[in-house]
Amino acid sequence: MKIKSMRIIIGGAGEVGTHLARILSNENHDIVVIDPDEEKLHSIDSSLDVMVKVGSAASIELLEESGIKKADLFIAVATSEHTNITAAILGKRLGAKITVARIDNNEYHKGSNIELFRSLGIDYLIYPEKIASREIIGLLRKTGTTEFFDFTGGMLSLFVLKLEKEALIINKTLQEVTQNESTLNYRAVAITRNGETIIPRGSDKFELYDTIYVVSNKAGLKDVMRYSGKQYYGIKNLMILGGSRIGELTALRLENEYQIKLIEIDKAKSIQLADILENTLVINGDGRDVDLLNSEGLQNMDAFIAVTGNSEANILSCQLARKMGVKKTIAEVENIEYINLAENMGIDTIINKKLITASRISRFTMSAQVSMIKCLTGTDAEALEFIVKPDSKITKGSLQDINFPKDALVGGIIRGKTSFIATGKSRVEANDRVVVFALPSAIHKIESFF
Amino acid sequence: MINFRIILKVLGLLLLLEGLFMLFAVPFSLYYHDPDLFPILISSGISIVTGGLTWIFFIKAPSNFGRREGYIIVVFTWIIFSFFGSLPFVLSREIPNFTDAFFETMSGFTTTGASILNDIESMSHGLLLWRSMTQWLGGMGIIVLSIAILPILGIGGMQLFVAEVPGPTPDKLHPRIKATASRLWGIYIIFTGVEAILLLFGDMNLFDAINHSFTTMATGGYSTKQASIAYYTSPYIQYVITFFMFLAGTNFTLSYFALHFRFRKVWKNEEFRFYVGLLLGITSIVSMVLYFTENLSVEGSFRNAVFQVVSIVTTTGFVTADYSRWVPFLWVIILMLMFTGGSAGSTGGSIKMMRLLLLLKNSWLELKRMIHPNAVLPARFNHRSVSTQIISNIMAFIIFYLLITVFGVIVISFLGYDLDSSFGAVAATLGNIGPGIGAVGPAENYSHIPAFGKWFLSFLMLMGRLELFTVLVIFSPSFWKK
Repeated sequence: MKIKSMRIIIGGAGEVGTHLARILSNENHDIVVIDPDEEKLHSIDSSLDVMVKVGSAASIELLEESGIKKADLFIAVATSEHTNITAAILGKRLGAKITVARIDNNEYHKGSNIELFRSLGIDYLIYPEKIASREIIGLLRKTGTTEFFDFTGGMLSLFVLKLEKEALIINKTLQEVTQNESTLNYRAVAITRNGETIIPRGSDKFELYDTIYVVSNKAGLKDVMRYSGKQYYGIKNLMILGGSRIGELTALRLENEYQIKLIEIDKAKSIQLADILENTLVINGDGRDVDLLNSEGLQNMDAFIAVTGNSEANILSCQLARKMGVKKTIAEVENIEYINLAENMGIDTIINKKLITASRISRFTMSAQVSMIKCLTGTDAEALEFIVKPDSKITKGSLQDINFPKDALVGGIIRGKTSFIATGKSRVEANDRVVVFALPSAIHKIESFF
Repeated sequence: MINFRIILKVLGLLLLLEGLFMLFAVPFSLYYHDPDLFPILISSGISIVTGGLTWIFFIKAPSNFGRREGYIIVVFTWIIFSFFGSLPFVLSREIPNFTDAFFETMSGFTTTGASILNDIESMSHGLLLWRSMTQWLGGMGIIVLSIAILPILGIGGMQLFVAEVPGPTPDKLHPRIKATASRLWGIYIIFTGVEAILLLFGDMNLFDAINHSFTTMATGGYSTKQASIAYYTSPYIQYVITFFMFLAGTNFTLSYFALHFRFRKVWKNEEFRFYVGLLLGITSIVSMVLYFTENLSVEGSFRNAVFQVVSIVTTTGFVTADYSRWVPFLWVIILMLMFTGGSAGSTGGSIKMMRLLLLLKNSWLELKRMIHPNAVLPARFNHRSVSTQIISNIMAFIIFYLLITVFGVIVISFLGYDLDSSFGAVAATLGNIGPGIGAVGPAENYSHIPAFGKWFLSFLMLMGRLELFTVLVIFSPSFWKK
């Protein structure tokens, strides 16, 4: 089955817009990018197979010229939220099937307000900073992992772990690790080594500093942590560097649970933050100042989050925090090129707004059977959750017999209230939810199986 | 570093494609019982086998390539196509000399139409069809065609498209380059078909109708008659060809809009207005002078004038009258028109309307800038200001174009030709027109030029068709630096 390509219009060629244009055009969709900045468009035009239009995304003439009438998806991700709101409303009225607007305003994201926007014609509101802060909060609650993701209410989870010296599984093959188990509760679905992602088979070995992606059910959680040499630890003290929107939102959510110190360089901004954050200690100072960090007790922190607008400063200060013995470090890195570099430097987790937002939005381009999709940092691979239709190809035999693409792997199956890890002998039934880990080359191949 | 495995892989596949296209000549060979059947089959076989083996040998090479690989692929596609495309002529011994055959084929693919044949009517039909077909394939572009029909050029296709499509800024008809390429070829095929049918009504036989529509839409100018279109005395045929030359010299994006009844967009386009205005203006001057200097009726002067002006401006190079025998004022005008060219995004060659128009506008503004030194005065095109980067690109193009012309004239005069002939030969080959003036005028041909001159002119044709930069960039040291 050939996957029908969608007509997608992206308003705004900022970082999110450009990244979306790149991944969506590589997935064979028809993309038009609108932005007032001719130079930005020029660089997109010369490197991607997309059409570019110079002008505002909220221009009716331009939207019509870009084929909004037949557009399946209109994504307004310009820098100004007002442009995005206007553009998305216009886009919907002019014929776009689904509209998504990036809106950086917490108030608009509250329950009833979302309804209000929907009635105006904006189907989905996206707030990259909020998604990023949610991600950070999730990570702080599941310490030990680099990244994690719950499928269907936590019945299956995807853990991303970095193998360090303490890990028991280093230099063992996949087979050796699992042979003593009677029932399989977890399974490594991918390994990223030196920037390259492989789908491991039984004879592949784990190596030091590998990043491994493990699908596990609740029963397997403990074993996963034990084998990978990780352990849970509670967090009490947290330092956030940078009062950016991500920092602010994270502090706001967590300030009643943890002791938080937030360092912000700008005086006026610090005062503003102190006003909003009642239980957080806001410190006005330069995060690059080691003495300041020390005097504020960096060494006693359980976690350190660097979310200033400057990726280099974030990476370096996390590095410093690690040296001082902070167990959990999270850095916001907006240059995609730096991600592998930063991961090799030993920072636990890299947060990238673009990737997070893109992963949210690219869900709208998948067929109805895909109920969740997660783009992972540090690899091109994606984890997807499919709902199996009756009579779909994947139900026609055990997984090893149906010619499932080699560059993808069924990690786990959720059936009713139970969940289990898939092996070659497993069979998928109608209405199961299936967690699939796929390299980019496989994404369109696997859609035909569901 | 440049990845030659990818380049060879793509070139192999394209050569295989050329071999398949040669087979289109086979039915005509069979029908006319000409002796060219086996030479064509053998040439096709050689191309298919060579191309296919190269492709299979390098099939494992990744299909993503960068800018540099793109330029090399485009330039060498054209060279290799001309090399293998000349095989049928050589093997059939109808053009026994390889230099001549290569010149004829390069002149075909680049839609120049400069010929070395002294007796076109004696050629076999299959070969004549292949000769016209080279123009037709080269007109809309070999690469553009490959992007439309081959799946493997997907992402890298972008780089190739930009390197082959004429004009400073290629417009896209569709977000996907592949879809844009198929739409362009679609219009091209429709126009060619319609022209062939119209020519059939004018008492042209099917074979000649197909050949002439191939070479008209490509703005090529190869005819199946030694006397070119002058052979057909019917005014109907001449007007039909004039009209289709005009269409071929129009931006195909505009034709696409016109076919979708979006005429406002066509008429609002400044380049189109400039193109039509220039044609009308020069045609009226030429027809008036013709009426008073030649023994022609009013309609006859107009018809000769409009045909010749459109033919030269669009860089087709068909002739209905030997313009080199007209009064000097007229042939000088014709010679100067060789530096205009069709619209951007058309199949025409030479400098092109859009560049001339922007150059004129910008130069005019320069005067205003002298009086208002602090004024912001961008050159505008279709009511949009044009970035200085594009203006400087256009200036560089025109300067290169003129410098190469000067250099070319000196080289050809070194071979013993006078100023008229040297200038005509260089302008007509670099501009992909075909007939020049003097010793290479409309009643003459290029057979008497020494071998060195033929290779040199072939190179000029290639440079002209690929709009200088694509070829020149390969010779620049920075291209080869890591």
